[in-house]
Amino acid sequence: MRDVLLTTIRGLGFGSVYAMLAVSFVIIYKSSKVISFAQPALMLAGAVLVSYLAGPVGFYLAVPLAAIGIAALGLGLERTTIRPMIGRPVFVVAIITLGLDIAIRVVVNVFIGPDVRNVGDPWGLNTVDVAGLPVQERYIAMVAVLVVVVGALFAFFRYSRYGLAMRAASLDQETAMVQGVSVGAMTALAWAMAGGLAAVAGAFVGAGGGVDQSTWIIALKALPAIIIGGLDSIEGAVVGGLLVGIVESFFASYQGEYLPWLGQNFSLVSPYVLLLVVLLVKPYGLFGTREVERV
Amino acid sequence: MSSTTTRRRVAAASLAGLAVFAAGCRGGSEDPADGGGGEGGSIATDVGVTSDPCPEAVNPDNGCIYLGTLSDLTVGPFAAAGPTIVAGQEAFWNRVNEDGGIGGYDVNVSEYVRDNQYNPQVTNQVYQEIKPDILGLAQTLGSPPTASIVEDLAAEDIVAAPAGWTSLYLFQDVILESGPTYCAEAMNGVDYAAETYSAQSVMAVHYAGDYGGDAAAGASVAAEANGLDFANVETTAGTDNQSAAVAAIVDQQPDVVVVSTGPADMATIVGQSVAAGFQGRFLGSSPTWNAALLQSPAAPALTASYQLLGPWGPWDTDTPGHEAMRAAAGDTTPNEFFLSGWVWSYPMKAALEAAAESGDLTREGLANASAALESVDYEGILPEGSGNYANGGDAAAVRTTQLSDVSADASTGVTVAEADLEGSTAEGYEFTEACYEAIDLG
Amino acid sequence: MTALENRPVDRPTPAPAKGRRPWGRPAMYTGYGQDMALLNTGAKKVSLGVLLVLVLLLPFVLEDELLRLLATGAVLAIGAIGLNLVTGYAGQVSLGHAFFLGIGAYTAAVVSGETGDEDLYGFGITFLPVWLLAGGAMAALVGLVVAPLASRLRGLYLAIVTLGLVFLGEHVFREWDAVTGGVGVGRPAADPVLFGVDLSRSTDAFSADQQMYLLMMALLVVFALLGRNIARSAIGRSFAAVRDRDIAAEVTGVDVRKAKRLAFVISGFYAGCAGALLYSVSGYLDPSSFGLLVSVQFVAMVLIGGVATISGSIMGAFFIAILPRLTRELPEYLPFLSSSATEFPNVFQVETLLYGLLIVAFLIFEPRGLFGVWVRARNYWKSWPFSY
Repeated sequence: MRDVLLTTIRGLGFGSVYAMLAVSFVIIYKSSKVISFAQPALMLAGAVLVSYLAGPVGFYLAVPLAAIGIAALGLGLERTTIRPMIGRPVFVVAIITLGLDIAIRVVVNVFIGPDVRNVGDPWGLNTVDVAGLPVQERYIAMVAVLVVVVGALFAFFRYSRYGLAMRAASLDQETAMVQGVSVGAMTALAWAMAGGLAAVAGAFVGAGGGVDQSTWIIALKALPAIIIGGLDSIEGAVVGGLLVGIVESFFASYQGEYLPWLGQNFSLVSPYVLLLVVLLVKPYGLFGTREVERV
Repeated sequence: MSSTTTRRRVAAASLAGLAVFAAGCRGGSEDPADGGGGEGGSIATDVGVTSDPCPEAVNPDNGCIYLGTLSDLTVGPFAAAGPTIVAGQEAFWNRVNEDGGIGGYDVNVSEYVRDNQYNPQVTNQVYQEIKPDILGLAQTLGSPPTASIVEDLAAEDIVAAPAGWTSLYLFQDVILESGPTYCAEAMNGVDYAAETYSAQSVMAVHYAGDYGGDAAAGASVAAEANGLDFANVETTAGTDNQSAAVAAIVDQQPDVVVVSTGPADMATIVGQSVAAGFQGRFLGSSPTWNAALLQSPAAPALTASYQLLGPWGPWDTDTPGHEAMRAAAGDTTPNEFFLSGWVWSYPMKAALEAAAESGDLTREGLANASAALESVDYEGILPEGSGNYANGGDAAAVRTTQLSDVSADASTGVTVAEADLEGSTAEGYEFTEACYEAIDLG
Repeated sequence: MTALENRPVDRPTPAPAKGRRPWGRPAMYTGYGQDMALLNTGAKKVSLGVLLVLVLLLPFVLEDELLRLLATGAVLAIGAIGLNLVTGYAGQVSLGHAFFLGIGAYTAAVVSGETGDEDLYGFGITFLPVWLLAGGAMAALVGLVVAPLASRLRGLYLAIVTLGLVFLGEHVFREWDAVTGGVGVGRPAADPVLFGVDLSRSTDAFSADQQMYLLMMALLVVFALLGRNIARSAIGRSFAAVRDRDIAAEVTGVDVRKAKRLAFVISGFYAGCAGALLYSVSGYLDPSSFGLLVSVQFVAMVLIGGVATISGSIMGAFFIAILPRLTRELPEYLPFLSSSATEFPNVFQVETLLYGLLIVAFLIFEPRGLFGVWVRARNYWKSWPFSY
């Protein structure tokens, strides 16, 4: 029982990071109808920025600063490479973001250098006693930051003018334009928000272990999460991210014992198995909007 | 789209195409094989050796020997290590040149450096690209990349120094490996743990394949020899992918864990296992260490329960070779990979010297000379008698390991605790094929 | 109504078999058949002929290293045609091409592999057509199994699920040591043996690279013709109907499920053959060679070459194959770049950076791909010296 609980908590911790990344993908998808493969590079860039800033200003200030910095980078990407592509097939745009990912990572790697960079988080691998369980502090921090971030996002989309405008632009661009919404500005805002979110997620990916040049791969785990949740649903992304984290964690702990024939390290691909299962039942994910076909 | 832009674009495209093919018509760019550099003149040469001096030559009167490098420089899993290894080897050959070169030739290792991206396909491509211009390879990094060219190397008599310690290299004739294999290293580690920590059970936590698999094979042989329980846990790269390994360690509580992963993954495994209450010891294969880990959250755990198995003494070790390396490094940040790049170059130097001595710096001459090497002077970095390539794989295998403790005072964060460890298992083991091929981990 | 139903709906009205062109009007079509002909203009016939002669001459002009590069390009082109059939013609975006490539490569390697090693399967049949077709067939079979997913999903959902195939495939390749040799160990790829001659070994008359180049070019011609014929047949047109509007296609009587299934099977076959051949060029294959990046490269080939064109797929494949080689030539012209791997910016970083940026720039500035460049260049010269 104790093991099961610890496994769940670990899953929720990592799941929170995946969820944040998944939300960043979904925000971009809702505004531009594209999956941005540049998010891994932005996440890595965010983590590296935190690792440089944490020394002088401390971790708690470094994270928002890095988020702002990477948001600016996301904005720049949107302005220079995505804006000219409006109206072009989304797959062309997706491949463009992949090209950007390669290019950005090369530059970021220079700043990482040969060593593991520590993000300077205050938790490390410390544990705290929760009802007799030694729970790692960083998992609690990850869940907490997810709650804060998602709460803020929901409030933003629900109550602020810009949030409303973004939702309108995502629902129907032309109608939104007619109502006076600057769709271009909303798209730019979405890319900036996604960049900032990726940076925050990056900082927490690095918590407890640091970042090195291969850390970017972690961001790809958000891909099954967004499909499981439904591409255009933020709550879906959160649920999907947490599910991926938990499934992965349980496979890591128990698959070797109960399903050894699946091979070593099956946990890595378990999110994709979950993905297949979910899609066989619900082709648009758990919370995705069914595409309406007009004939 | 205006027609001028079209025309310009078409022109640009055709120019770009021409640039590729301008690289050479068939048979056009073979190097002039007119032997004889500065003093010798009697030395036979063919590909990759010129009587013209190297670019930016140390000794403008000398001829030039070109050695290629295929390393992981940008996007592969060892992109962090590759550039540092290259720097180490450049420092080594620079020193050779400053000492007058070899047989009237300087050695150039910087003209034909290529990025293999740790990808066999890419490696094969870039290798074909530099092949007409080089005598040998000063570095080929990674087993899969090397495997994609090794047949061609053998067919063309191109000698290569590998960057890595897998036991497979013992059995490839044109490969001049240095130091003990991961396999021997792990044997010594387990022997040491059985003796010093009275360990009753061993677990190998490792990547699959030529590195981790090799170390795990060694650990399993030594565990059997010492009558210890052995468990085998395979893991994959990525700090977020170590949960299964940590769960296995905490669950089974072995007395000693032999870790063969990358540094970040090793720190994750050690840090989390200790945080979860694991009391045993960790022994890490040589690539598990990185000085930056001392700043990581896992540092206390590492200091308390981790030791490094190294092929040679770390940066601060007191041997003539280390001293020369430190002098050559100047103010370069100390890094074990720099040292490795340096040490891996010794056998190539010995082979070139032997070939020059016998008056034959052709590819065949170099291959023959390297195959006849019975020992290499590592300037004290490796024990006497290392570098015996003449008498088969088992004779070539070095069996000593340097065991190091984590120490914040050392330049690279580790300092020797037990020098020249050579356990009875490694001593008695006969290397007949790559360990990971020979031993079934089940 | 009955008359309509009985008509073969997925076939156009039968054209007059071979309409005769009026004298002196070579560009005038008098029948549908002429328009859909393989080489429907005189210029095409001539330029194809010239191109083929050029291809035959190259091996006697170029260095081995470049021939090998072009041989790789030809194999990539076969794979790209396969992806273009499913993604360009049938509109089913697949990021799973690397998976099919891997299946083909390993099937071929097993068929051709040495017998008697119980740790590494092999049947010892090195005759090229056998392992080539085996690789293609196995991948096509897997395509058939995967196809039902495509009938449930579309667009990015399908893309990510096919991406999932790549990850699952990588897992299987990593774990199934008896077939793949395992991570970091690998196994030899299929031996290209034709009538007792191992083409990957130099013979008295030709170097190994010359032989491989000619072999791959010959195979590319076969596969390209086949692809073109599929595209211009009823099957190809049903693909396009499904891509453009699947509901409309269904209404006009195209069996959408069947078309999608067929698209995946054909694309799988192409990918399998390409995988089988690709690694016989370098002679060695490692389980980590079939990742996301490979799939992406193929998508890039299709996009850069030109969506739903066979010639575009070929151009795109050669472009991607030659691009890294081109960027490696750069430092000659940019002396300020350091060639030392430890400094920044060094040439290796710039190479990789350029690779990414060139793909971006190409897609932004030339959305119709190389095929579009070609069309514009052709139109320009057609009306030269007038601009239109």
